Amino acid sequence: MRHVTVTGLDKAFGAHPVLAGLDLEVPAGSLTAILGPSGSGKTTLLRLLAGFEHADAGTIGIGGILVDGPGAYLPPERRRIGYVPQEGSLFPHLTVAGNVGFGLPARQRRGGQVEALLETVGLAGFGRRYPHQLSGGQQQRVALARALAIEPAVVLLDEPFASLDAHLRASVRADVQEIFRRAGTTAVLVTHDQDEALSVADRVAALRDGGIAQCAPPEDLYSRPADPGLASFIGDANLVDGVVSGSTVKTLFGCLPLDPAATIPASAGQVTVLIRPEQIDIVPNENGLTAQVTSFRYYGHDAVLYVQPEDEAGGAGSQPVVVRVAGGTHRAAGPHLPAGTTVTLLARGPVFAWPAD
Amino acid sequence: MTLLAGTQGASGTRAGRRASRPVALYTAASAVAALMAVPLVFLLIEAAGAGAGELRSLIFRPLTWSLLWNTVRLSAVVTVACAVIGTAAAWCVERTDLPGHRVWAVLVVIPLAIPDFVVSFGWNSLWTWAHGFTGAVIVMTLAVYPLVYLPVAASLRGADPSQEEVARSLGVGRVRTFTRITLGQAKGAIGGGCLLVALVLLAEFGAFEILGYQTFTTEIFTEFHGYSFAASCALSLVLVLLSLLVLAGEATLRGSGRGGRVARTGPMTQRITPPQRLGRLRWPVLALFAALVVLALGIPVASALYWMAAGLPPALSGGANVSLLNAAAHTAGYGGAAGVLATVLAFPVALLAVRQSGRARHFLEGSTYLVLGMPGVVVAFALSYFTERYLAGFGYGTAALLVGCYAIMFFPLALVGVKASLARAPVSLDEVARSLGQRRLAVLFRVTARLAGPGLVAAFCLVFLSVVTELTATLLLIPTGTQTLATQFWSYETNLSYSQAAPFALVMMVVAAVPSYLLGRFFQRPAVTRG
Repeated sequence: MRHVTVTGLDKAFGAHPVLAGLDLEVPAGSLTAILGPSGSGKTTLLRLLAGFEHADAGTIGIGGILVDGPGAYLPPERRRIGYVPQEGSLFPHLTVAGNVGFGLPARQRRGGQVEALLETVGLAGFGRRYPHQLSGGQQQRVALARALAIEPAVVLLDEPFASLDAHLRASVRADVQEIFRRAGTTAVLVTHDQDEALSVADRVAALRDGGIAQCAPPEDLYSRPADPGLASFIGDANLVDGVVSGSTVKTLFGCLPLDPAATIPASAGQVTVLIRPEQIDIVPNENGLTAQVTSFRYYGHDAVLYVQPEDEAGGAGSQPVVVRVAGGTHRAAGPHLPAGTTVTLLARGPVFAWPAD
Repeated sequence: MTLLAGTQGASGTRAGRRASRPVALYTAASAVAALMAVPLVFLLIEAAGAGAGELRSLIFRPLTWSLLWNTVRLSAVVTVACAVIGTAAAWCVERTDLPGHRVWAVLVVIPLAIPDFVVSFGWNSLWTWAHGFTGAVIVMTLAVYPLVYLPVAASLRGADPSQEEVARSLGVGRVRTFTRITLGQAKGAIGGGCLLVALVLLAEFGAFEILGYQTFTTEIFTEFHGYSFAASCALSLVLVLLSLLVLAGEATLRGSGRGGRVARTGPMTQRITPPQRLGRLRWPVLALFAALVVLALGIPVASALYWMAAGLPPALSGGANVSLLNAAAHTAGYGGAAGVLATVLAFPVALLAVRQSGRARHFLEGSTYLVLGMPGVVVAFALSYFTERYLAGFGYGTAALLVGCYAIMFFPLALVGVKASLARAPVSLDEVARSLGQRRLAVLFRVTARLAGPGLVAAFCLVFLSVVTELTATLLLIPTGTQTLATQFWSYETNLSYSQAAPFALVMMVVAAVPSYLLGRFFQRPAVTRG
């Protein structure tokens, strides 16, 4: 239950810089997700925290102790980090109990501690099995129990759910979240899956260009991203032009209430407005923005439409807009929405905005 | 080590803080590499001592040219024959609906466990026409083709069969798919197998002695026994040069022909693909397999049994039994000691090769492969020369020197086995173990060595098997008054006491068959078991 502080972290492999001046603060007891596309340096950051790699510059502190920095380096075995690698990486030659007790002193391995941990992860009675006799989700939970056994200062998880089937992923994810919440564990999880990051973590740190672009609670990151680029990086985003007047902003969807958190200087006239696809509805009446469907994708639980708004003269207006509606609700406009269908759109506020460049 | 790494960062080097180098590992590997260089260094010292003028007169004489011609033409013919037989057999067993392919897979490999000199004894003692160049080609091809078969079969088993399916779907026929895709996949393995065959041929002594075929190795042996050290040294230099040329040639071919590895997507479990149908060729192919097994396995075994039966009463007398047990015990003892020593020596080099990167690692690993170019007769010669000149004969004729010689000769085999076994212990498991608070050394014992265990046994078996069937170095370095199966067989054989030699040949085959079987099982399993 320790906090992690990273300042000015640099890491390059040969001439290829991976992390450049990365700063990150992980509060004690939080579950922080590092979100970034593959190749963005997520795993490198995790390996630096674990001590498998040495930083080129900068400092890493765990629980107030400098573990990597000028003149200081603590090897992995002395950092008290619980590391859960991508594939679980259970020791194939040891039983489940042997795996969980691996990091414990020899006399504690046979005690009730191992069984208690297995119970925590919902695998009571599995101690005598071997890793290859377990399903992927069970292996992942054993890996977690093994990491928790050493009472780590912080648990590091490297894409821990990526190798699981979709239906298993949700339940293991929820289990892990619950285990961490109950134990008050500080955890850092890296993932390229934004749904995973947003749904599991207390805080999400978006990794971009070798640094943390923004670290915030999931809701803030999604609805109030630091800049337009980040808005598109996390989920689909409609970035439209607008003009602020008081607490509202005028866009092609009409006047929408402005998110009070948006800090727009009074001098700024033009702004860039973020409207998420699910903030737009298809409405049956004529009082909205008319647009032509260019493509329609149905996913069951929801559906996504790409539409081209029309201007007053009936010609093609501004840039295309993405709309996400709950599954079935699009039927208001017709059961199928082939390209060329005309729909009426209505946006809901509040919306976030940044001063236009 | 970790402290060192820390201070390095504090001193603010331009490269910044580096990952800590395991100093102990580099030190151990360097020591092993130095040991492996010993025979070559001593050979060069001896050559320098003989003087350039004498060496020149010893090398540039008609004998050298006739030896060179004999050695090169035999190596060329047998290597090509082994490549064809080994590759064809491997393809039939691995990729076609050959009836009984599991049984054939075992039968065609067993000849590897039969010493080459026993095969030549089998042929030569039954038919006098089996001698000279013809005899050498027949005997050596039948004795060593498994050296091509084994790697090719393994590579065909590991190769992605969907590449062949893609080729067929692109409109390429069966035959051209075989030549363009299948042979391409196995190219590296065929080359590696041919390299081994060529090196064995350069180093072979016993078989050629029986067949009356003169090569560099037989001549070095004769000169050495006649105490003409300068002459054996001069010939050794040429032989080592020849071996190094073969090694370099193979490395160049491999280097230029290597296609980039493409990541295999999808599940790691091997898909079962339907085998190629032999159709009308089924019976002819079966007949060929039967012929191969009869010639390579049947004749040596039958010949040994025939001679044993021919001299039944004296061969099984009490005294002979005692000497048989004694010789078997010595063989097993030397083989076991050399197996352990070579495996232990190979461990640091293999760990370095698998886990580290950089120029130092390449240099250290590469330097140990030079031993491959040192035929057994040369290693034994260099070591005995060393004890003679620098230790005043101390150590000469001891079991320790013989075991050391074996360990150096068969180090590359142990290295192959240990490297394969370490591939089963992925570095990610080490990292997890360290994050759980275990120190490097504890991780080595609790994780790495445990996972590598079966492979270490395989490395041991490879060396043990080679020691059992080794004759040349054994004859030169064996302690006085001691006999192994090979040397006792040899002394009976050279006295033409075939019925007394035969039981030793049979026991050698049996002793060598056990590790061969274990090896076959080890290398047939997939490299990584999913954890």
